[in-house]
Amino acid sequence: MSEQKRLHPISTIINFIKHLKDAVIPLVILLFLNRGEQDSFWAYLPLISLGVVLLVVLGAGILKWLRFTYRLEQEELRIEYGLFVKKKRYIPFERIQSLNYSEGIFHRPFNLVKIKVETAGSSSSMESEAELTAITKEEANELNRIIAQAKKRLKEKGTGSNLEIDTDDFDGAEGLGVIEEEAPQEKILYRMSIKDLLVMATTSGGAGVVISGVLIFLLQFGDLIPIEAVIDELVEVVQAGLVLAVILVFIGLVIAWIIAVAMTLLRYADFTVKLVEKDLIITRGLLEKRQTTIPLNRIQGIRFNQNIVREPLKYITVTIESAGGSALEKDSNTISLLPMIRTADVNGILEEILPEYEWSMEFKGAPKRSIFRYMFWNLLFISLVIAPVSYFFYPFGLLTLLLYPMIAIFSWLQYKTAGYRISGDQLTMRYRGIVRHTVFMKKKRIQSLELKETWFQKKGRLATLSATIKSYIAGSTSTVPHLEVEDVEKVLEWYRPEGQKITEKKKQLSTISTIVE
Amino acid sequence: MNRREPRKRISERALTVWKLYGWINAAILSVIAIALIVLSIVFDWPVWVIIASVIVPIVDVILFVYVFPTLKWKKWRYEVRDEEIELQHGIFIVKRTLVPMVRVQHVDTEQGPILRKHRLATISISTAATIHQIPALDVDEADDLRDSISALARVAEDDV
Repeated sequence: MSEQKRLHPISTIINFIKHLKDAVIPLVILLFLNRGEQDSFWAYLPLISLGVVLLVVLGAGILKWLRFTYRLEQEELRIEYGLFVKKKRYIPFERIQSLNYSEGIFHRPFNLVKIKVETAGSSSSMESEAELTAITKEEANELNRIIAQAKKRLKEKGTGSNLEIDTDDFDGAEGLGVIEEEAPQEKILYRMSIKDLLVMATTSGGAGVVISGVLIFLLQFGDLIPIEAVIDELVEVVQAGLVLAVILVFIGLVIAWIIAVAMTLLRYADFTVKLVEKDLIITRGLLEKRQTTIPLNRIQGIRFNQNIVREPLKYITVTIESAGGSALEKDSNTISLLPMIRTADVNGILEEILPEYEWSMEFKGAPKRSIFRYMFWNLLFISLVIAPVSYFFYPFGLLTLLLYPMIAIFSWLQYKTAGYRISGDQLTMRYRGIVRHTVFMKKKRIQSLELKETWFQKKGRLATLSATIKSYIAGSTSTVPHLEVEDVEKVLEWYRPEGQKITEKKKQLSTISTIVE
Repeated sequence: MNRREPRKRISERALTVWKLYGWINAAILSVIAIALIVLSIVFDWPVWVIIASVIVPIVDVILFVYVFPTLKWKKWRYEVRDEEIELQHGIFIVKRTLVPMVRVQHVDTEQGPILRKHRLATISISTAATIHQIPALDVDEADDLRDSISALARVAEDDV
């Protein structure tokens, strides 16, 4: 497959629509301008310019398609493109981490896929990745096979000279190579059921959408009530308003729920997790099918999220913090490994994917005396809201006082959640923002560790622990506040590189000046 | 408590620079304050505007020129060992950060015009996910540090 190839012509239409999306606001404005007197030339100007814009965008799409070629040559994926300036991007096979597939509504009738080439990204990953907008599935599979084989060959050739010292189980690219004779072993680990999907939609951020929707509605409604009328006929208006509000809120809830279900269905229908050799392959989507490949050795940590609604239902979300991924495809970065799963089923699946991790949920918590600190800041913060509201909206504003017990309970939950666990080379941290997080990290994946002590914490011999791992192109920091300071120091000592621990006494004087050779 | 705090301090000249920053800030603030005073005299604004315009810059000078830079300098410690870098800083919130050498991806030194005039430089240590800075080191020390960290840092690619 070394000859130059073009993408499928449908990519012109995909490009066209993509650019159209970017230009949609000016176009809409143009359309609305088209309301002048009917006869004059000026009345048609917006329409004419609209046509011109459409033509230009379409033309650009076609040109782009004409100019875009790709080929496989000398163990490299070579892409050439560019409207006026010819650009060439050569990606060596060994730099390719994975090929991610997605199928939009335009792809599916023609049996096409969009391919996203993910490279072992540095921070400038924008530069090193590539996208093939539409190629046939056969071509895609061929591409995948050739790259995998080539990588395998390279790997075998390079084993002697390889610099990899780490004898980790999930080492290097060998897992990516597809063995020529036998088909790669596929193992389906998880398939999302409709029930889980519904639970997910119902308890998702959709709930947040509903609440904000209701709030917006109430605010609007508030504007409809003239202040004098409120004073004069307060009781009546409030009663009538309440009935109306309740009905409308109910309708709003139902609509929001339906929307949430539809959205979830679009994104997560057919959600399947497969383990193929040493790659995780996640497929999902109803209209637009997506396939994301995550090489196991790129996994930096595992995160459990559980929002307050899902906690009593015993459902959690498991996400992967991975070093791969791209700046371009934000959507797949937030994608979960197990978007909605019963707590009881999690361990079985994760043990198959990452057997070297420990999934215990026993934690060393924060000491009792830290409760006060969890409460204090939250209550102080909420007071900033409650005080002015109570004052300016007296007497109804006083209702906000109810927030105090709520926040107190919430703070107590935060205190109960906080904890850490060290087991071998693994650090597990649990904490609660609004959502409860549990993060599982291997020592060698932690980029830096921090002990933080405020003046008040010092008095109470408490400290805050933060650990940062790489997550896509940035970092993800987990923070457990108000732990026993000795505990945090213990974690710090655990994290200290081995050599530093043993030889510390000998090297007491070895500061940086002596290290320089 | 077997605290092993980092021992090295940053250059004492940092103090001069930070005080200078404080003065620059105060100068800008004073300009605003003077403008406010003039305006409140012209437009007959309440007296407290004038009082605040006098007090705020004074407090600012006391805090940001005299108190904070000294405290900040006193609290700043770092140490670069064979396999790790340890930083500790912060006036009200003390942060102690541990960065293993194998996680370091690259080191930069940088200096603005003021730092250059005082022969100082700031060193930035980048891991795959975080950036840690040691401010206002002596230029020679910063260069040595940069070279030795980059010599010591051997990132195990797989671990990124």
